[in-house]
Amino acid sequence: MIRAVGLTKRYGDRLAVDHADFTVESGTVTGFLGPNGAGKSTTMRMILGLDHPTAGTVTVSGRPYRQLPAPLREVGALLDAKAVHGGRSAYNHLACLATSNRIPLKRVDEVISLVGLDRVAKKRSKSFSLGMGQRLGIAAALLGDPGTLLFDEPVNGLDPEGILWVRNLMKSLAAQGRTVFVSSHLMSEMALTADRVIVIGRGEIKADTTMREFIAQNASTHVRVRSPHLGKLHELMTGTGWQVEAAPDDEDALRVYDVTSDAVGELAGQNGLWLHELAVVQPSLEEAFMSMTADSVEYHAGLGGMEPGASGGSGTDPGAATNTAVAQPGRPNGEAR
Amino acid sequence: MATATATVPTGPTAPTFRRAGFGDVVSSEWMKLRTVRSTFWTLVALFAGSAAVSLLICLAAADQYAKDRAAGNPDSSPDIVMLGLLFIGQIAAYVLGVMTISAEYSTGAIRSTLSAMPRRVEILVAKAILLAVVVFVVGLAAAFACFYLGNIPLQAKHVGVKLSDPGVLRGVFGSALYVAGLSVFGLAMGFLLRHTAGAITIGLALIFIIGGLVQLIPGSIGRWLYKVMPGNAGAQVSQFGEMKRNADKNFAPWTGFTVFMLEVVVLLVIGAILFERRDA
Repeated sequence: MIRAVGLTKRYGDRLAVDHADFTVESGTVTGFLGPNGAGKSTTMRMILGLDHPTAGTVTVSGRPYRQLPAPLREVGALLDAKAVHGGRSAYNHLACLATSNRIPLKRVDEVISLVGLDRVAKKRSKSFSLGMGQRLGIAAALLGDPGTLLFDEPVNGLDPEGILWVRNLMKSLAAQGRTVFVSSHLMSEMALTADRVIVIGRGEIKADTTMREFIAQNASTHVRVRSPHLGKLHELMTGTGWQVEAAPDDEDALRVYDVTSDAVGELAGQNGLWLHELAVVQPSLEEAFMSMTADSVEYHAGLGGMEPGASGGSGTDPGAATNTAVAQPGRPNGEAR
Repeated sequence: MATATATVPTGPTAPTFRRAGFGDVVSSEWMKLRTVRSTFWTLVALFAGSAAVSLLICLAAADQYAKDRAAGNPDSSPDIVMLGLLFIGQIAAYVLGVMTISAEYSTGAIRSTLSAMPRRVEILVAKAILLAVVVFVVGLAAAFACFYLGNIPLQAKHVGVKLSDPGVLRGVFGSALYVAGLSVFGLAMGFLLRHTAGAITIGLALIFIIGGLVQLIPGSIGRWLYKVMPGNAGAQVSQFGEMKRNADKNFAPWTGFTVFMLEVVVLLVIGAILFERRDA
């Protein structure tokens, strides 16, 4: 279990982490989400004792990291794949780490086969691809068979097979009762992997809850309607008292809230209006995340129409918009439609 | 190469393990020192480079040296046999010391090191001990190689130097001690600056250039500064016998070495304090 109390980190006059309180519970995969520069990596580095908090504390299994008698036995971390000396072989890198924690060298061979690096174990790691480097970092994290694991962007640079492997690995690690704390900017990946979610924006903890609750609270289910009679339909639906809005991504579509798709279809049929599309859209983690952190994104891209909160619709390419629309319902949190 | 199934042996470890102690840190650092090629090549340069340069200098200087000795020139000293070690050897030792820590910073490996072993001072002390021992052993071998190889051209001119001559054995061992101290000096500079090129440039400039330039400062301040500059103070222990050159300008051999070691320890302590306090 990881517990942060009032955890604060200040770099000059920039507050990177601002009085963060959160708990990462055992036996769960907890996702750590936030825009770039929100303080994810800084928080993880403070958990590992690499950076000193300006104020507050963070403990692992009840103790500050620096007081752990043999840290690798309790916490395994993948911070960045490049935290290795490229001139050293993968085997030697792991052997050096294992030795410092009195971990027998046969465990090095075990984790090497576990991550599938057997054939390159004796090669110098500077020749490794990003994916192989990522596997080496995961091997290092598993060396001490620890009860707590920290992964910062673990699927970065992995091929689809590798991503699946990491996903299953994290789930099996959590199923064994271990604490898994994982940051990622890949929302769909997080939605598939994490049970709980901690959201950080501009150094502040915005949410610390279950994935399901987080999505339910921050984005709502709606019915998507596309029709050549949009104006008429809009009038009818508002007349019935439904909450309707133009879909931000498609000028030929509407979003209707708090009704079933059956009701919308029936209303259109009764009035002889054609529908080109009628779908229940589950909100995605991405939408929930965007709505929560819209005001705390450190670096906005200069694309006016794409910014959260900008008036949507008017200038979007209909072809592209349709693609997004089709893709969106495919991102529910594993829940039935 | 991907094993698609995630099989993780056992559950969270029951706390049956023992605390990782200082001995484990030393073993780990020893393995780290052995498993990068730069260590091997720097030590090869230290040994072979020093011996070769000593031989070449003595080959070139034997004739003049024999004449100076015959004329009783007080500036001529048989410790020219050690010049290879005091040139190539001290560069190699210093660079090895710097790289032992700066390479961890430049590659990012320091984050793996500190995640595995957060007791930072133990890492610094382990590195210092290992460097001192390794460089002393290789430095001593190099010192004897310099002594015997450099002696060949001198003996040909019948001005060879013997180990039993006054101060010679102390100078040979002292050379090894000096380069060992210099490698720890490099380590301290590496911890302070965390940057390979910066630490090497500043350190070598301090030893080879600034160490000589400070005597241009007039008066007793300049003389004192010249004496205490690390290269000047430390190298005295490598000089042979009572024929030591410029006796008025320098410390006595062991006094100089003690001053040098104090400087190294002070730098190492500052390095340890910063290492402990700074974010990795």
